[in-house]
Amino acid sequence: MKKDIHNQKLVKEANRTMLQQSTRRHFLKEGAMGFGALALGSMLGGCFGNSSSSSANLFDATNPLAPRPPMFPGKAKSVIYLHMAGAPSQLEIFSYKPELSKLDGQDCPPSLLAGKKFAFIQGVPKMLGPQANFRRHGESGIWLSDNLPHLSTVIDDIAMLNAVTTDQFNHAPGQLLMHTGSARLGRPSIGSWVTYGMGSENKNLPGFVVLTSGGNDPDAGKSAWGSGFLPSVYQGVQCRGEGDPVLFIKDPKGMDRDIRKASIDAINKVNQEQYQEYNDPEILSRISQYEMAYKMQISVPGVMDINDEPAYIHEMYGTKPGEACFANNVLLARKLVEKGVRFVQLFDWGWDNHGDSAFNAVDIGLVNKCRKVDKPITALILDLKQRGLLDETLIVWGSEFGRTPMQENREGKKMAFKGRDHHAGAFSMWMAGGGIKGGTSYGESDEIGYNIVSGKTEAFDIQATILNQLGFDHEKLTYESQGRPFRLTDVSGKVITDIIA
Amino acid sequence: MTLFKERIVSKKFLIISGILVLVIAITFMAMPSSKVDFNTEVKPILNKKCITCHGGVKQKAGFSVLFREEALGNTESGKPAIIPGHPEQSEFIKRITAKDPEERMPYKHPALSSEEIAILTKWVKQGAEWGEHWAYIPVTEPDVPSNSNSWIKNNIDHYIFSKLKEEKLSPSQEADKSVLLRRLSIDLTGLPAPEKIAKRYLQDNSDKAYENLVDELLASSSYGERWTSMWLDLARYADTKGYEKDGGRNIWKYRDWLINAFNKDKPYNEFLTEQIAGDLMPDPDDAKYIATAFHRNTMTNDEGGTDNEEFRTSAVLDRVSTTWSALMGTTFNCVQCHSHPYDPFKHEEYYKFMAFFNNSRDEDTETDYPLLRQYNAVDSTKLFQLIDWLNKNVSKEKAKEYYLFLKTWQPAINSLKCDSVNNGSIAVLTNLRNNGTCRLKNVPINNHRQFSFRYNSDYNIKLSVYLDSANGAQLASYSSAKTNGWKIVSLDINSIPGRHNLFFKLSSSQSGDATALTFDWFRFSDPFPGADKLGYASAKQQYEELLSAPAETTPVMVENNTDLFRTTNVFIRGNRLSKGKEVTPDVPHIMNPMPANAPKNRLGLAMWLTDKKNPLVARTMVNRLWEQLFGYGIAETLEDLGTQGITPTHKDLLDYLAFQFMNDYNWSIKKILKEIVLSATYRQDSKFSKELLEKDPNNKLYARGPRVRLTGEQIRDQALCVSNVLSHKMYGKSVMPFQPDGVWRSPYSAETWNLSQGEDQYRRAVYTYWKRSAPYPSMLMFDGGTRDVCVTRRIRTNTPLQALTTLNDSSYLVMARFFANRMNEIGGKDINSKIGKGYEAMMYKSISAGRLNALVQLYNNSLEKYQKNTMARAEIAGDLGKNNPSDAAMVVVASAMLNMDEWLNKN
Repeated sequence: MKKDIHNQKLVKEANRTMLQQSTRRHFLKEGAMGFGALALGSMLGGCFGNSSSSSANLFDATNPLAPRPPMFPGKAKSVIYLHMAGAPSQLEIFSYKPELSKLDGQDCPPSLLAGKKFAFIQGVPKMLGPQANFRRHGESGIWLSDNLPHLSTVIDDIAMLNAVTTDQFNHAPGQLLMHTGSARLGRPSIGSWVTYGMGSENKNLPGFVVLTSGGNDPDAGKSAWGSGFLPSVYQGVQCRGEGDPVLFIKDPKGMDRDIRKASIDAINKVNQEQYQEYNDPEILSRISQYEMAYKMQISVPGVMDINDEPAYIHEMYGTKPGEACFANNVLLARKLVEKGVRFVQLFDWGWDNHGDSAFNAVDIGLVNKCRKVDKPITALILDLKQRGLLDETLIVWGSEFGRTPMQENREGKKMAFKGRDHHAGAFSMWMAGGGIKGGTSYGESDEIGYNIVSGKTEAFDIQATILNQLGFDHEKLTYESQGRPFRLTDVSGKVITDIIA
Repeated sequence: MTLFKERIVSKKFLIISGILVLVIAITFMAMPSSKVDFNTEVKPILNKKCITCHGGVKQKAGFSVLFREEALGNTESGKPAIIPGHPEQSEFIKRITAKDPEERMPYKHPALSSEEIAILTKWVKQGAEWGEHWAYIPVTEPDVPSNSNSWIKNNIDHYIFSKLKEEKLSPSQEADKSVLLRRLSIDLTGLPAPEKIAKRYLQDNSDKAYENLVDELLASSSYGERWTSMWLDLARYADTKGYEKDGGRNIWKYRDWLINAFNKDKPYNEFLTEQIAGDLMPDPDDAKYIATAFHRNTMTNDEGGTDNEEFRTSAVLDRVSTTWSALMGTTFNCVQCHSHPYDPFKHEEYYKFMAFFNNSRDEDTETDYPLLRQYNAVDSTKLFQLIDWLNKNVSKEKAKEYYLFLKTWQPAINSLKCDSVNNGSIAVLTNLRNNGTCRLKNVPINNHRQFSFRYNSDYNIKLSVYLDSANGAQLASYSSAKTNGWKIVSLDINSIPGRHNLFFKLSSSQSGDATALTFDWFRFSDPFPGADKLGYASAKQQYEELLSAPAETTPVMVENNTDLFRTTNVFIRGNRLSKGKEVTPDVPHIMNPMPANAPKNRLGLAMWLTDKKNPLVARTMVNRLWEQLFGYGIAETLEDLGTQGITPTHKDLLDYLAFQFMNDYNWSIKKILKEIVLSATYRQDSKFSKELLEKDPNNKLYARGPRVRLTGEQIRDQALCVSNVLSHKMYGKSVMPFQPDGVWRSPYSAETWNLSQGEDQYRRAVYTYWKRSAPYPSMLMFDGGTRDVCVTRRIRTNTPLQALTTLNDSSYLVMARFFANRMNEIGGKDINSKIGKGYEAMMYKSISAGRLNALVQLYNNSLEKYQKNTMARAEIAGDLGKNNPSDAAMVVVASAMLNMDEWLNKN
């Protein structure tokens, strides 16, 4: 008797599974005009569905971008990652080092040079005191330089990481390490990992969007938002501030929406007939993709247009519609997150404070760059807060490394401007929102900001913390590739619990 | 929640099936005759369940199942865990069957199934023998299965048919001639067939018609361009150097070399030998040097302040990994840090293999040396005369040495090797200011009597060179007025044995902060030979002129001479800075040994690769050719034929093709391709029946023909072709067809996309400039990679961004205009006929009523719109239209036709 019931259960289960499969097949066959889930599903089914190693992988080939619950309830639903490409000097922004002022102009002691390698410093450089004034701010009393007057007003929302270190002191590898967990090419970026783990809330927009400003892409190029060995559906889609927000999103001149609609209808009718003849499900995917393309043509320019924002928002962010600038990108990031985009990655180029030009000088160019980002970043925190989104949006601010307390002496010469060389030993980053404890400081560097004293924080720890806030154990979010499971944090990483609310 | 439920139920399923399996297993064990197969039965269990903790990376408790000697050796407990013949005494078996969760293996993971336990027990009982994976066993002459069926056309079909029979499936009939014509033409040449060839085939109803078509297409020069496109992914070819700056690199002659090689059907063994070691072959000509650019397509990091040795090492490692993944279908990178966790390669073997590549002259310098120097016609004649004189008057070795130096400026010491620079700097090269000094450390003078260097100075200079210390004996001294560009100087020096440090001191008319002199390279050599021979003076003069003569350059491989030889060490855990044992070049023990007469250098390596005993090279290539035609390889993972790859569907067929390729066809790519495309398997109709859709959705059994989306290159090329604008110009510098603004955004780079003019706008995609950090967008959208490293396989995707590309990219709009024009010309006045003729030009067959209706309706809708809007019609039709509504509507129709699924696929 018992056995019978058990058998019935089994049969029921088997039937349900069959039903699920045939529904899916039904969907594939008949549901040609419906898309979203289907479209991306068949897009990958052929390539990955048969892979022998995919069993251990999280992703569902039938709908790789479907929103998925994380491993445990996370505090954050989305991430805005602000990367200042070039490595701004921590000593003029976050890292208050009065001792360094006293050493200004003196020869660097040999003990600091022994066994060290620098990108440009040759021979014996001079020490360079901080080129900014520092003050305590907020209830937390966190030190901040006068270069960031706006940010100082929201300092109690921020958790400062003052002892970040890396082992890379060249831009491209440094950026790759921060974003992919490896200084070499070929690993998926953090945004790809997150969309792989959680999918995306919006079917008409990519789950992982990249925005760049400052006139150049980051040094690591597209690999900084590549999907590595993860399916290509998880790679970041770069949206552009000027021209088409996504390449080829605009119809050619002279083709209005009605004609575009008529042309997609005609293409799909022809393809439908091809499908009748060939029965190839890939044809149905193509039909869906053409419809999705049509929808994206409307939704992407819509969300990428900041003109319809009220005047007070433009005032708050300091945005200039029509320009490719950091302020616009920050506002776009808020709009995208609001629409359910999972991961928004900003890169702002132009923070390479060598002192080889006024633009790269710590007392000129850096001050100007700070001015351009201070207001919009502060606005982002305030704006998300007023919309009730700060709690579920994790903001990360950082770069690939820091700068030396010594003045750069490129080619052994005194340089025309004040600057600092690349420095991997100690620099600052911060996080806010998304369940981070505001007004905290974690980690400490020595009195000249050269080495770490306590609270050492590596790229892997930051990555582990980001994943943790989203609800993932960084050791368990893995993907089988080349016969072994890979993870973002490789073999390291620990969640920085001190800054979690 | 539902998921959870499912899990419970499936667990119950497992228990039941487990019991069933146990019964089977026990029966199985009772049959003493059946021997467990290590590769198919044991190895998969070890790989999946044991090796993560007991293998290449970790060897917990001192136990590893990677190699037999490790598995049978003593563990930390002092005893071996596996005792062959005695499962009951083996700790290995005790642990997998233990009840105590602290004892039972796999630790903290689900227990092995009873079937798995049964297999492992039986395997230990039978002696725990090891076996090699098929991919590492040389190819032997196979027995072709025999079937009698009228469908079968050649041996390939026998293999396919046998398997279909097993699966109770039947093959499909031959596809229509129109479908075959397009499939074959795109597969072999990447383009629709030229009209003449197409017409001849469609009208020829003889038995030989298809084979004639194959022969004509194989003989067409488009063939080489098509297969070069494929190879460029493997060679990670790009027109830029990669990394941050991603500056330009002139290496397109390598692409042209490939086109020629494919068109001439250079046998694959020679094709590989020249690319791996053309420079080491006897008396290499320019073409052989250019072939070696294969491994100069590695990236060069020009970012300021980077360590050249670090990125030189990266390039060498990339050569190792590309040689394995592209040519031998093996992922070798794991072995860089530890023994391969799954395949039988040892850590040390990686570095022995790396030693083959560790002695090339390139050093990650911005100059990208060594470069092959190709002179203009007049200077080439002079070079020929000079070499002739040298051959007649001095030793063959001397003549060779001078030829090499004229062609490559090698071997020379790059000025970046200088250190201790005062009043100067090391940047792209070494610069000195007035009163600047620098040191050149530990250079091999070795009694050479001449010291040469290449430099550039805008000032009057006096340069002194001292031996061993800044105050040492003066080795040479040189004064000169400004150079107006680069200059090569040779100074006579005394005979001094051994290696020394040299100290340079500069004084110049320059005062201030500007650079007074830049060094390029240094060289120690003997004075020009043949001083006592007739014609010496003019030969010497000719030599000196040629040395500085203008030349076109291409990065190539040149080997270190003994003076500059580098040793190779194991990198402990893959870390370049932690050097272990010194090693010499060798191949992994699991593979065929080096041929007896093979030198231990890249030439010997090439001999080993192309030895018929090499188990991987031929298999990898035929698998790749198959993938190009059928969409998937016989082994799907082209990049990994080893234990982690996907098992081939028709392993015997793979071996048959590999054997034919090496033996009967003597490595001819055209011949093996011909056999494949002549098969009934290839010629099948590609329609999916309901049965096939369920049983074999990815067509792994080949009961139908291939239906695969074309590559980005092919989609562009065929659109250019059908629009009648394709340029048939071959070879030359890469071109820059239209691309949207703002795609190139590399930091510290002033390079820009300079739109090509005239027919260069419409060249085949293989000639398009490939910038690593920003590849041509439409090719990237259709799954092209950045080519930073070797792309062993393009994973096909189907995305909305692809739709947007062929709909909206202005290149495609321009092609639609040309195509509309063509339809207007060939179709007469009637819209039905215009569209019909256009469709025929694309698909070689008449259009169906449904398709025609859809397109005519689009035409009519558009016509109505454009009748009302004069500006819109001018915009859409561009220069080509006569600004009438019908031209504009025709462009819309043409664009739609270029987006038809049947056009984007081969059917």
